[in-house]
Amino acid sequence: MNKILSHVLAVLVFVAFMVYVLLQQAAFLDFGRLQGYEWLFVEGIINTIILSFIALVGSMITGFLLFLISKSKFELFRAFDTVFTEIIYGTPLLVMIMIMAFVIGPAFNIYQRAFMGVTGLIVYITPYMKNIFRSAFSSITDEQFMAMDLFGFTSYQKYRYIIVPQVVRILMPPLMNNFSLIIKGSALLNVLSVRELFYAHHIFKSTTYATVVALMTMWVLYILITIPLSQFIRYFERRWSL
Amino acid sequence: MVTLKIDIKTLSHTYDIEVLHNLSIQLEGKKAVALLGQSGSGKSTLLRIMAGLEKPTSGEVTINDQAVDDPEYRKAVGFVFQSHNLFPHLTLLDNITLILEKTRGFTKEAAVKCAMSNLEKLKLDDQAHKAPRNVSGGQAQRASIARALSIDPDVIFLDEPTSSLDPILTNDVLNAVEDLRDSGKDFVFATHVMSFVRDFSDYVIFMENGNIIEHGPTEIMDSPKTEAMQSFMAKVR
Repeated sequence: MNKILSHVLAVLVFVAFMVYVLLQQAAFLDFGRLQGYEWLFVEGIINTIILSFIALVGSMITGFLLFLISKSKFELFRAFDTVFTEIIYGTPLLVMIMIMAFVIGPAFNIYQRAFMGVTGLIVYITPYMKNIFRSAFSSITDEQFMAMDLFGFTSYQKYRYIIVPQVVRILMPPLMNNFSLIIKGSALLNVLSVRELFYAHHIFKSTTYATVVALMTMWVLYILITIPLSQFIRYFERRWSL
Repeated sequence: MVTLKIDIKTLSHTYDIEVLHNLSIQLEGKKAVALLGQSGSGKSTLLRIMAGLEKPTSGEVTINDQAVDDPEYRKAVGFVFQSHNLFPHLTLLDNITLILEKTRGFTKEAAVKCAMSNLEKLKLDDQAHKAPRNVSGGQAQRASIARALSIDPDVIFLDEPTSSLDPILTNDVLNAVEDLRDSGKDFVFATHVMSFVRDFSDYVIFMENGNIIEHGPTEIMDSPKTEAMQSFMAKVR
């Protein structure tokens, strides 16, 4: 069966399932209830995107630093990386966000929960960012470095013309994957009353009691952000992979 | 025309264990020297040291009266790696022009002209704008030979240039090298393709376990003196 047809069929199966579900819920499916609350959701989306973007940039920086630490000559630094990574891998994101906002933040007299929540998100994603930097840099083989030396490139030229252009291409797809993880993870910030998309749905739900409408609206909005992102990643991989 | 002069004195090299043991050899006036021996015999390491890619643990190596760690010497060395080792994000053409422009001071036009003429020599002019992943293994390896040629080296080292290729592509690459016979370049190479050694080289060095066991004109392949080389030649074709 050809590829497009298969995908169309797969989508249809999913749509059929959702149609069934929504028909069962038809009594509660009055999207007219959204009237007057549009701005709430728009604000939610905007905040979700802004927070996620901040977390993306922040975790890229901390992830790169952790990558450098993991490559350090000093055993102590490398041990720090191992311990930190193990702790993060063993911690649920929601727990990390709560600990940051209610335990670690206040210990340093920081009571801005939103700030500490985003910091928690950044800390949580850091080891995953380290991993993508590690795999990107390790994909440049020793023989390539040998060739660069042989031809007599200066350090600056090596980075400018050979290393960075390759690393960026290898980095982009997993980086965008992590961005998608961050966007989804940012929903948990609602527990700190950060006015992102999940929080918007929550407010809407508790004022109108239109639970099904609230959940479906939120879900569709998340998907509208993340699926184009993943499609972009696929396109990028096809077009630019090495 | 240059003819190759190799002078190696008490060369040893150690990674985790010693892989080259106190090698000494002097050659002069050769055009194409072949290194023979099983995988792990030290051929690649010796090639890399002669090309100045690796610094030997001890000993002295001069090629054409130049020390191999002399920056001037290294500028005139061509090296072809086992797998083509082109920069994967650049087209075949850009793989060459980048080097010429950035490290040899060519203008853009001169670099393109030089690169194209070398790609033409290797019959790759129609592939110049493709990325390495979009050409065959044989074409990529020929491009890396063109890259080695383009810096106008005196000596070209080839480290088992066909070991990752199927028999047809192997022929494709080795024929291309044979066509360079009259290019005025000298060659030092390691390969497992014995017919190519017989056709192309004028001198062979047989190695085993990091030692040079036997060396001489290519004809010694037909009547090796040492047991080790006899047994090697009996096993290969």
